[in-house]
Amino acid sequence: MSKELIRLRDLCMAYDDELVLDHLNLYINDKEFLTLLGPSGCGKTTTLRIIGGFTTPLSGDVLFDGVRINDVPPYKRQINTVFQKYALFPHLNVFENVAFGLRMQRRPDPSDPKRKSRLPEEEIRQRVLEMLEAVSLKGFENRRTDALSGGQQQRVAIARALVNRPKVLLLDEPLGALDLKLRKDMQIELKRIQQQVGITFIYVTHDQEEALTMSDTIVVMDKGSIQQIGTPEDIYNEPKNAFVADFIGESNIIDGVMVQDKLVQMYGRQFPCLDGGFSENEPVDVVIRPEDIDIVPVEQGQLTGTVTNVTFKGMQYDIIVDFRGFKWLIQTTDHSPVGARIGIKIDPDGIHVMKKSRYSGLYGDYSSFSDEYDELDAAEVDGDET
Amino acid sequence: MKRGNRLGSRALMALVFLFLYAPIFLLIVFSFNKGNSNIVWTGFSLDWYKSLFQNRLIMRSVYTTLLVSLLATAIATIAGTFAAIGFYSLRRRTRTALSTINSIPMMNADIVTGVAMCLFFVAFFTFWGDFSVWFNGVQSVVVLPERLTLGFGTLLIAHVTFNIPYVILSVGPKLRQMDKNLVDAAQDLGCTWMQAFWKVILPEIKPGIASGALTAFTMSVDDFIISYFTAGSSSSTLAMTIYGMTKKRVTPEINAISTLLFVTVLVLLVVVNLREARAERTGQERHPVSRKLTQLLDTPKGRLFRRGAAVVLAASFLTAVVLLTGATNAQPVVNVCSWGEYIEEDLITRFEEETGIIVNYQTAESNEALYSLLKSGAGDYDVIVPSDYMISQLIEEDMLAELDYSQIPNYGLISDRFKGLTYDPEERYSVPYAWGTVGIIYNAAMVEEPITSWSAMFDTQYAGNVLMFRNSRDAMGIALAYLGYSLNTTDEAELREAFQLLKDAKDQGVYQSFVMDEIFQKLEGGNAAIGAYYAGDYLTMLENNEDLAFVVPEEGSNWFMDAMCVLKDAPHYNEAMAWINFIASTEANLANMDYLWYASPNQEALEQYPAYYEELYEEELGQETYDIIAAPQEVLDRCEAYLVLPLETRKLYNDLWTELGI
Repeated sequence: MSKELIRLRDLCMAYDDELVLDHLNLYINDKEFLTLLGPSGCGKTTTLRIIGGFTTPLSGDVLFDGVRINDVPPYKRQINTVFQKYALFPHLNVFENVAFGLRMQRRPDPSDPKRKSRLPEEEIRQRVLEMLEAVSLKGFENRRTDALSGGQQQRVAIARALVNRPKVLLLDEPLGALDLKLRKDMQIELKRIQQQVGITFIYVTHDQEEALTMSDTIVVMDKGSIQQIGTPEDIYNEPKNAFVADFIGESNIIDGVMVQDKLVQMYGRQFPCLDGGFSENEPVDVVIRPEDIDIVPVEQGQLTGTVTNVTFKGMQYDIIVDFRGFKWLIQTTDHSPVGARIGIKIDPDGIHVMKKSRYSGLYGDYSSFSDEYDELDAAEVDGDET
Repeated sequence: MKRGNRLGSRALMALVFLFLYAPIFLLIVFSFNKGNSNIVWTGFSLDWYKSLFQNRLIMRSVYTTLLVSLLATAIATIAGTFAAIGFYSLRRRTRTALSTINSIPMMNADIVTGVAMCLFFVAFFTFWGDFSVWFNGVQSVVVLPERLTLGFGTLLIAHVTFNIPYVILSVGPKLRQMDKNLVDAAQDLGCTWMQAFWKVILPEIKPGIASGALTAFTMSVDDFIISYFTAGSSSSTLAMTIYGMTKKRVTPEINAISTLLFVTVLVLLVVVNLREARAERTGQERHPVSRKLTQLLDTPKGRLFRRGAAVVLAASFLTAVVLLTGATNAQPVVNVCSWGEYIEEDLITRFEEETGIIVNYQTAESNEALYSLLKSGAGDYDVIVPSDYMISQLIEEDMLAELDYSQIPNYGLISDRFKGLTYDPEERYSVPYAWGTVGIIYNAAMVEEPITSWSAMFDTQYAGNVLMFRNSRDAMGIALAYLGYSLNTTDEAELREAFQLLKDAKDQGVYQSFVMDEIFQKLEGGNAAIGAYYAGDYLTMLENNEDLAFVVPEEGSNWFMDAMCVLKDAPHYNEAMAWINFIASTEANLANMDYLWYASPNQEALEQYPAYYEELYEEELGQETYDIIAAPQEVLDRCEAYLVLPLETRKLYNDLWTELGI
């Protein structure tokens, strides 16, 4: 892949004696779309603010192109930011908002390199109009920003940042205030813009779907530490621990024992799988995605259980099945009535084995599942994370 | 039922507004009155406004008020805005605590703030005096002034102090409404913090700053109490001047200035409220002209112009301030403290023109008030005009400076009768200013027969219609005179007897009230029948109420002499000498005698006054009137001057006075 642009080395940060970042190490490549993903308070926004220069870390280094920039103020970094709720300047119109950064810029005068001069007005005008066109806001130059819709304000914020031609664009939950439909459109739009301008995007979100859709690399964070770094496929298919497995998509996480390479034991039965590299009889967490489970007649099943809840989701049914007190979520196109006894079968490539971690036993049981569960999950917002 | 309720509540509201605004309405109406009464309308005129603008005391205090208000507003607005930004960046709990602390000075009684500041300044000056003496002693590079006094500087500091909370209070909410990412966004786009402040924070909180500044300005213009305690002797705000003028009588001139003040504050408040109302309306469209102007000013040339204009304005403002304060500092000054309406004001102007010395003229209510002012260290005057007994007390306490009579040649014009009196037997400390007698002023239409005796002051047949002095010396003096004792008695039994007389009369409801200069309005308006006061003042009252009569009672009375003295360590000693010499001249004495109706101590003036009067008013001065102004010797023989009393007697006076419970 391309070369490394930003490196965070051993970053620590604390607010009121509470550790927000715990020895964080991360490198970010040039032209990459990298997402910091995690729940409220995981430290993702703090990380972003440290990169932007708005927060100084307690310890550790921030390197940009190999140069330490801990003490470089925000206005001297080749980084621009799209803020939560956009932070457009209310007293300026769309054009002046976008032109703000350009008006602040000074560069050596071509006639006398010792003198610094402003950008010529004509150049500013041209660049602003180009950028507004790129974010589909041509003709909106003289509008007041509070007369724009949420999506349009979002585009102004992006244009205002990108017009400065930064090397890195930071985006702090930029789609959080938009409705679902607009959010989906903007996801595609953002990815398009990133490919068009060809710079690094560092994106902060708590929405796993957003992260999976847009990112080249996802960094899953919790409690100030990185849980896993990888491509969306890696993160989804090969979660490193129960936290990641639960946070990304739906997962049944079952206690198991690794009997030997490619053979894991759950509920006293042995299942063939594709994982290896564990010591003999090592306790493990086993992840089984709901869509990787086939329902079969009881007599053919590797396990048998009782259906306790069925929800129709359009493309499939979400079925909760009780296996000896542990409730699984199964997504299937076949309908099974509540109370039916069913058998299940899992292919070896549907089983993912993870080492035990501090998160073992916390996630993966669907006992508390209900229809509102999804909505509650989606409603979670990063409140006062600083 | 419901309808009735609504009518009732409307009537109540109308009443409330009537109570609130009727007095102000009346005040405004009578500011246009032709005559000098606040009760009788004699026709429309703008004379009082005209005389207002010719009154140098008022004009100077308007200037002081505007200067202190503008400066205090400017400083408080800048300081308050940055303080609010500081508050805003604090954590919530600290911020709440600080906001409470911030709002306490606004809730606090002004009188407490004023007294506290006065005490603080005086204490600081004492410390500063010691410090600068030491500092000037150990080095000779810089010479620090050893003597600091209350004045424009302290007035300004006080105003800035009480203005800052209002600015913080009005800027704070604007900051909290602001998206907290705006500053980050500006810095992200290339601004330093200071640039972010100018380009982003300031436009966002501008409405708050403007309302804060307007509120501060209104408060400054409006303030009386805090100014009163911190302005010292050399500066006087408009509110203080108005207060000084009302001590005698509310003339329509005061109505006029009060009207102007009311209108100014009203306009400012309306502007503040309009601004707030406009800010509350969201999605407002700006006026096309102002939009065009903003666009024009936003071009590079416009920005250059804007910056240039700001620099020019700031520079000229600063220069003006420096020049003005410099000019007043460079000019010689004399600080005079006298009584209300106790000088022909033209004399001040004439003195200033002749000598180039600026006169800061202030007034005190009574000898006792002056004394406590001096004792507190707040009264920093050069020349004072206390009465006889107070002079001897001040001499006793070593508070007066010896006069340099070689600089006061006009002292020779003082009648020998009035030289070397008991209060200053060696003629070292004082130059007589004016003298007079105390007598009974009564409304002949309200009593059955002419009054000749002090008994009227204790007579229950006039219950509720008698006005008694609101100071212990004069009130007790009347009782002592009635009983036939000396006004200067130290005999406790006699004093207690006099006190009992007063006490009984008070308990029987003889006295309508105890007054000083309020007596003018009461007697002129026919609100009381009998009062004891000074002879000269009777003639002033007579101009407004022809029914009034005057008598020096047969039992005898007090005759008094007010004389000019200079305080020890007066900062402007030579200017003080020049002032005293000017006032002692025959010309000044004639003018003062005519204005005050108090007798002059100047022999020439006493002799020339009837002719002077005739020339001025083209009518003869009756012997009767002249005798009231300058009591003939046989009346004086009945009278007695006050002497300073021994400490224990003074204490007894105090105790008895407290017991009387005025």
